[in-house]
Amino acid sequence: MLTRASRWSRWAISLLALALGALLWQAVASRTNPAFLSSFTATAARIAELAANGVLTDALRSSLAVYLTGLSAAIVIGVTIGLVLARVRLLRVALESYIMLLYATPMVALIPFIMSMMGFGFAPKALVVFLFAFFSVLYNTIEGARSLKPEMLEVAYSFRSGEWGVWRDVLVPYTLPFALTGIRQGIGRGLVGLVAGEFFLSGSGIGLLIMQSERDFDVPALYGSIVVIAVLGAALMGVGRMLENRFAAWRGLAR
Amino acid sequence: MSTAERALRADARIRIRELGKHYGPLEVFRDVNLEVGDREIVSIVGPSGCGKTTLLRCIDGLIPASSGTIEIEGEKVTSPLPGIAMVFQHFGLFPWKTVFANIAYGLKLAGVPKAEIDARVPRFIKLVGLNGFEHAYPYQLSGGMQQRCGLARALAIEPRVLLMDEPFAAVDAQTREILQFELLRIWQLRPTSMVFVTHSIEEAVLMGHRVVVLKGRPAGVFETIAVDLPHPRTRATLSYPRFSALREHVWTTLMDEARAAELLLQR
Ligand SMILES: Nc1ncnc2c1ncn2[C@@H]1O[C@H](COP(=O)(O)OP(=O)(O)OP(=O)(O)O)[C@@H](O)[C@H]1O
Ligand SMILES: [Mg+2]
Repeated sequence: MLTRASRWSRWAISLLALALGALLWQAVASRTNPAFLSSFTATAARIAELAANGVLTDALRSSLAVYLTGLSAAIVIGVTIGLVLARVRLLRVALESYIMLLYATPMVALIPFIMSMMGFGFAPKALVVFLFAFFSVLYNTIEGARSLKPEMLEVAYSFRSGEWGVWRDVLVPYTLPFALTGIRQGIGRGLVGLVAGEFFLSGSGIGLLIMQSERDFDVPALYGSIVVIAVLGAALMGVGRMLENRFAAWRGLAR
Repeated sequence: MSTAERALRADARIRIRELGKHYGPLEVFRDVNLEVGDREIVSIVGPSGCGKTTLLRCIDGLIPASSGTIEIEGEKVTSPLPGIAMVFQHFGLFPWKTVFANIAYGLKLAGVPKAEIDARVPRFIKLVGLNGFEHAYPYQLSGGMQQRCGLARALAIEPRVLLMDEPFAAVDAQTREILQFELLRIWQLRPTSMVFVTHSIEEAVLMGHRVVVLKGRPAGVFETIAVDLPHPRTRATLSYPRFSALREHVWTTLMDEARAAELLLQR
């Protein structure tokens, strides 16, 4: 557990590093052709402008709808199937090689296929996000659940636990931190899927904003949208990390 | 024990008859006959791998026997029965549950109402001396404290049969001694059927009303030694001449095999 003082000093150091980064960015940009690199202040100003005139907020809203749909489906389905597969050996052995194959497949390769199957709407983009995130969640959940020691199950059975009790008291609480690791990975991968979908399927949301800014030589807007999506990703991963720490307290890991 | 003798025991809570168990081609034990009274502690000693844990698992209904039967208060054991609690060699605490939740676990599964659990758990926490650690996780406890927690979890359901698998093997000598007398004190307060597996001959004699020696390949009950030491047993018991005599007796019974193996090696 961090003390209050050391938590403050961590925040302070992080902020200081970010401020230094911004200064460095500003310094480099002032010596570079603004057609290639927009300065920190110009980028920040453009973000504020795009937010005020609603372009950025609309793009974000549209992207988040796609992203959260795909991601939450990946989490719910991934964790559920992962736990079931960990409990049912036959299914696991049967599906293992498929899961390994799909986990290793660069999902971008599937985008043309999804396009020909489903066209350009909302659903295929959510599906791309889902596919990017799903296998991280699934794989980590299965591996986590399988590392449960048989002794733990023996204790549960000794106290006359049924299958439902095994899930509630043993399987789910044990697997949660592993699943959250997968979810955190999935958050990052899903974001890649989001932008890829918005680039290659139908242009929309932040992806479209990036492409348009590039076409219009609006360099500050281009950098601005990239910064926004990076910050979004970092914030979501932060939430994931927080949940992981909360549910892994029993493992006694240093926070 | 002869059949006639066995028929005499009216107080038997656990009845094991002609029990045999094999894992595939490996025959662990055969023809095990044993009865444990309703207020009796039976110690079981035997060389490593002779099937002590396997026997406890059979009694707990965790694994099926290959032949023979086990009855608890007349009911045949085919799956875990209510009111039987095991203290595991590996502690078996759930690392994601606090001390309180671990001890409450068995009560929760037994369907005890929450108000009753909240009243009962602190009593058992106090009984095993874990006050102040209610909200600690197992990783924050020492080995001895973890074993106390496992003990409290088993005792909390006020079991009719208590199965102990080398419960104090993993703790240091001092803690071990404290826990032994603590357990004897608790048993004195609320006597029940107990099967106490241990590697320590001293502990077997100290805890048991009888000591059962398992031996052979496949193993069987080689000898049953009645421990005619007075109750309650205390630290003073350890210095009785009778205690030493019994300990020597069990030691010789157990060691015959080891000595034979040693002689074989020397040849
Ligand atoms: N699940 C299993 N499958 C196959 N063999 C097993 C299994 N469990 C135990 N055995 C074997 O059965 C024998 C008895 O094991 P058991 O654990 O009951 O011994 P033990 O008397 O408790 O030993 P220890 O004193 O070392 O704890 C050993 O030879 C062991 O290898
Ligand atoms: Mg054992």
